[in-house]
Amino acid sequence: MYKRFDKNYNIISNNHVKDKYFKLNIHVGNNVIYCNPGQFFMLNLPGHILRRPFSIHDINMQDQSISFLYKVVGKGTKELSQVRKGKIKLLGPLGNGYNLNNCEQENCNNIIIAGGSGIASLYILAKKLKKTGTLYYGVRSKTDLICVDQFISLNWKVIVATEDGSIGYKGYIVDLVENLIKKNDIIFACGPHNMLIKIQQIIYKNQISGFISFEAKMGCGFGNCQSCTIVINNQLQKVCTDGPIFKICSFQHYKIK
Amino acid sequence: MIRQTDLTVNFAGIKLKNPVLTASGTFGYGHEVSDLISLSKLGGIITKTITLHPNNGNAQPRLYETDYGILNSIGLQNIGLESFIQNHLQKLYKIGVPIIVSIAGQATNEYIKIAKILSEHSIISAIELNLSCPNLQKNIICSDLSMLQSIVYNVKNVLNIPVIAKLSPLNADITKPAFIAQEAGADALTIANTYPAMAIDIDTYKPKLSTIKGGLSGPCIKPITLRCVYDVYKKSNIKIPIIGCGGISNGSDVIEFILAGATAVSIGSVSLNSPSNLITIIDETYNILKRKNISSITDLIGQIKS
Repeated sequence: MYKRFDKNYNIISNNHVKDKYFKLNIHVGNNVIYCNPGQFFMLNLPGHILRRPFSIHDINMQDQSISFLYKVVGKGTKELSQVRKGKIKLLGPLGNGYNLNNCEQENCNNIIIAGGSGIASLYILAKKLKKTGTLYYGVRSKTDLICVDQFISLNWKVIVATEDGSIGYKGYIVDLVENLIKKNDIIFACGPHNMLIKIQQIIYKNQISGFISFEAKMGCGFGNCQSCTIVINNQLQKVCTDGPIFKICSFQHYKIK
Repeated sequence: MIRQTDLTVNFAGIKLKNPVLTASGTFGYGHEVSDLISLSKLGGIITKTITLHPNNGNAQPRLYETDYGILNSIGLQNIGLESFIQNHLQKLYKIGVPIIVSIAGQATNEYIKIAKILSEHSIISAIELNLSCPNLQKNIICSDLSMLQSIVYNVKNVLNIPVIAKLSPLNADITKPAFIAQEAGADALTIANTYPAMAIDIDTYKPKLSTIKGGLSGPCIKPITLRCVYDVYKKSNIKIPIIGCGGISNGSDVIEFILAGATAVSIGSVSLNSPSNLITIIDETYNILKRKNISSITDLIGQIKS
């Protein structure tokens, strides 16, 4: 069921998690039933005309709450991180999200590949998938790891790569994954663009199912400004309304030419 | 005595229930947010610019918000005329407000071709000629005054609905293209479009947009565009009505543009934040008039005091 709202909600908490990461927990009432893994909300940030997209990190049906795990990257997110209570205006849920009924097969192995802060949107996916699986998680350094305990508590196997080798495999997580792919794997991925390009190649080369969550500069989040258009599966697609989740059917550089 | 407060305006023969229109390129094909706001409350809808053939637009990144306003270089991405007519026109008609279709062509004959095809669709209230997109790999059309004249004249010849010329603010004297558009037959003007502008990343030394330059919009451009509207309105030989378009964010801004000489306004950047801002702006405009005990918004057009 697809329904979106543009309204004020109460902040339950907005706590520091680790380093530059914060978790914003919001009471959304009955609208929680419309929220799905892979979807996002547009949030007003102080001092900005345009809202910014924040993907759903967790959904709690009992508390009727959702949360966003976000990284402080600029003035807007810094000011957001200092808000403790009150109301916040959100537009969403937006985007297609993962179609959980269609993507999970009987004999599949669920593989989640996360790069950096891309992990934020993948936790709720792991929570909602029927089967557990393996998380391949790449970060720059050991101190950048977040959410690992959350995946472990869901009984997921976690394999980590760091660029500086401070923990786990030294190098990029995609290089590690490339050699481990099996025919009945299903990939779900979110992370930096270069990582996602390589994952598209892996999915296409191995002819396996793969769903990628793309990020793009968004102006509105609801399809009107067309800022976030990319080329996926040889078609122009708006990340905000056609995505952000795309089933990968072909491989190409997703640049508009 | 309680007086009625009337937001209705007659714009180039089109009755608008209020002067607030959507600015082209910021409201999609016009009906996509019907679940979020009551579109029938709008004064009218100006669609995103339609070209003869589908257009992919420019490469990413094509949006960047500066500390002062928004830069975009979308480059007129759209699905093309045929698909627009097939998939969107009926949905727009059902909204029940005047529909203004924004069009652009590569050259004069393409504008004429699009206009001819659209002339067969009686549900369109007016055509806005986008003569001022800063994001194409060529000069802004309306800086070539003879081309501007030719496009307006020829498009007007094939249409029996109002033609609105959307001009660029980037002209030392905007009254010149405004006058030429009027003399060529334009029924109205949109003043203005975004301002050619740019931003650079100081870490990578790269421009923030793939096209280097883009169009600047948002509240920062409001005073500059307000001046453009004022200049055109006060020019005694320009008689056609004006849509003020540039950085309008609230009801006070609407009143300012009306006082400077606009008959209607079109709003873009703030509707990207939330389409509901359009309705808020209409309500604010109404409340300002009511507070001032002004019965009709038309009483304020051009009423700036010297």
